[in-house]
Amino acid sequence: MEEVPLSLILGMDLGVFIAWIGTLLAAALCVLYGLYHQLIKKTGEKQQSQKEPEKTQEEER
Amino acid sequence: MDILFFVILMAIFATVFIFLGYLGYKKTKTAEDYFVAGRTMGALVIAFSYGATFISAVALIGFSGIASIYGHSILWLAFLNVFVGIFIAFVFYGLRTRKMGLSLKAMTLPELLGNRFNSVKLQQVSGLIIGVFMVAYTSAVFLAISSLFQVTFGIPYWVCVVIFTLVVGIYLIVGGLYAVMWTHAIQAIVMLIGMVILTVGVYAMLGGIGPAHEAAAALTPEMLTSIGSPAATQAPNGLTSMPSFLSQPFMMVLTIIFGVGIGVLAQPQLIIRYLTAKNEKALRLAVPYGGIFILLMTFTAFSIGPLCNVLMYQNNIMYPTKDVAGVMTANPDAVVPTIINELFPAWFILIFLFAILAAAMSTAAALFHTAGASIGRDVYEKSIKGQSSPQKSILITRIATFVIVIATLIISLNPLDVVAFMTAFFFGLMACTFLAPYTLMLYWKKTNRLGVWMGMLGGFLFTMAWYILIYFKTAPKIIGTPLLGDYMINMLDPIFIGLPLSFLLTILVSSITKQDTEEEIIMKRSFENI
Repeated sequence: MEEVPLSLILGMDLGVFIAWIGTLLAAALCVLYGLYHQLIKKTGEKQQSQKEPEKTQEEER
Repeated sequence: MDILFFVILMAIFATVFIFLGYLGYKKTKTAEDYFVAGRTMGALVIAFSYGATFISAVALIGFSGIASIYGHSILWLAFLNVFVGIFIAFVFYGLRTRKMGLSLKAMTLPELLGNRFNSVKLQQVSGLIIGVFMVAYTSAVFLAISSLFQVTFGIPYWVCVVIFTLVVGIYLIVGGLYAVMWTHAIQAIVMLIGMVILTVGVYAMLGGIGPAHEAAAALTPEMLTSIGSPAATQAPNGLTSMPSFLSQPFMMVLTIIFGVGIGVLAQPQLIIRYLTAKNEKALRLAVPYGGIFILLMTFTAFSIGPLCNVLMYQNNIMYPTKDVAGVMTANPDAVVPTIINELFPAWFILIFLFAILAAAMSTAAALFHTAGASIGRDVYEKSIKGQSSPQKSILITRIATFVIVIATLIISLNPLDVVAFMTAFFFGLMACTFLAPYTLMLYWKKTNRLGVWMGMLGGFLFTMAWYILIYFKTAPKIIGTPLLGDYMINMLDPIFIGLPLSFLLTILVSSITKQDTEEEIIMKRSFENI
């Protein structure tokens, strides 16, 4: 087989490499989106719902 | 491989699915149960069902074969599949579609359009377009699986098609969308196992990611010619490089990538999955599952396609061919099956066969269900005067689905040409017809009935005219010589013009005409929860 040009990244040219890494990053974005809604946003919602009754109690006072 | 062993496993596979069909039947009490699985589905089942519907045998066999010709540049499609097909689809379309579907009590895409714009005719016409063209797409799914069965076992095509249709037809017609989605979850797992082992196997044989890609990059046109690979001429810059800008291979890659990559947003069989979610959270959490699933399907399939050339070269295997009108031509659909048959152990051949079977069955079931609902519920039921009872509605759709299954069977027994292009044809047509009205319906309150009619019909007619008169794969078969001789125009997917045209028509007509009072009331109701 012929020698591989040095400009290749992981054996791919830049256009293909961007697609390759872009696909992995897109999948990572999906995972982060899920984690955000499962963990961070959930915590935020819980904190908000805990604050709400306090407010109501204060209002009652 | 022992065919008896395969038959036994196939019987178990079929029995499980038919049993799930029975469970679905027991659970189906209302029209909502039959059409949108009672709107009770959780994140994992939605993601797997969406993925298994999206990724057919065409994507796994057809597109990895296409990648063996055009190289890793096809990975752009994998990027669009994950980013647009999952992230954009769920986050920007799924959540709003579910909310609007609930407000409008809609269970299909045509019903969503019809209810949103207060037009039964709109529902019927869009239902008819979906029903008719979905049959053609389903026949492409059958064709893909026949390649594998012919290469692996030499089982006659018609035997596969008949058995396959019977199994899918039974559990689908009996069990409705409950059965379809439960079977999808199982099928998706089988697909995952098959594709992961295949990918790991191919990369392991070639020494890992870097060495495998470098070996592919080092294949010269002469080496590719020696194994009869069409990549010698179609990937002139090498298998791991982008083709030259606006060259013929570049245009080919572009048309494949955008037809399917963007077209995914307007697929009626996928849109139904959003409507099955039990709550908003289920849809949001389906995003990571779906993203990983599609990554492990398309990214792997498109990565290994070009590497099959290296394996063929190293192992003195000739690129598979088929007889087309007495001339032996390259058969990309048989590339992956050939590599598996030649280089993988017998146990894996069985696993992969079931993975492909699962991919084909899951897509076919979803297509049959959507086409049946389109013809039964959207077209026929809406033409009957008076309100149908839920039982009658389900019965009508079951009969319509049965008719569609039989129609697909007949068409599939007279198979059409290369599978991947049938997918591109269907995806492109659905996108040009429905994506603009669907998007604007979700996001622009001024969208009105007339605008949607114009956008939908304008996109549809333009796309059909393009396929008949100009598009390089279809026009020569229909009119002999395409109207225009320039390859850059001939190879352009209609989505590049049809989609902007459809958007323009919908916006323009909606801007210069007004919603009537009834439409305005419905519009306000649709956006209440958004």
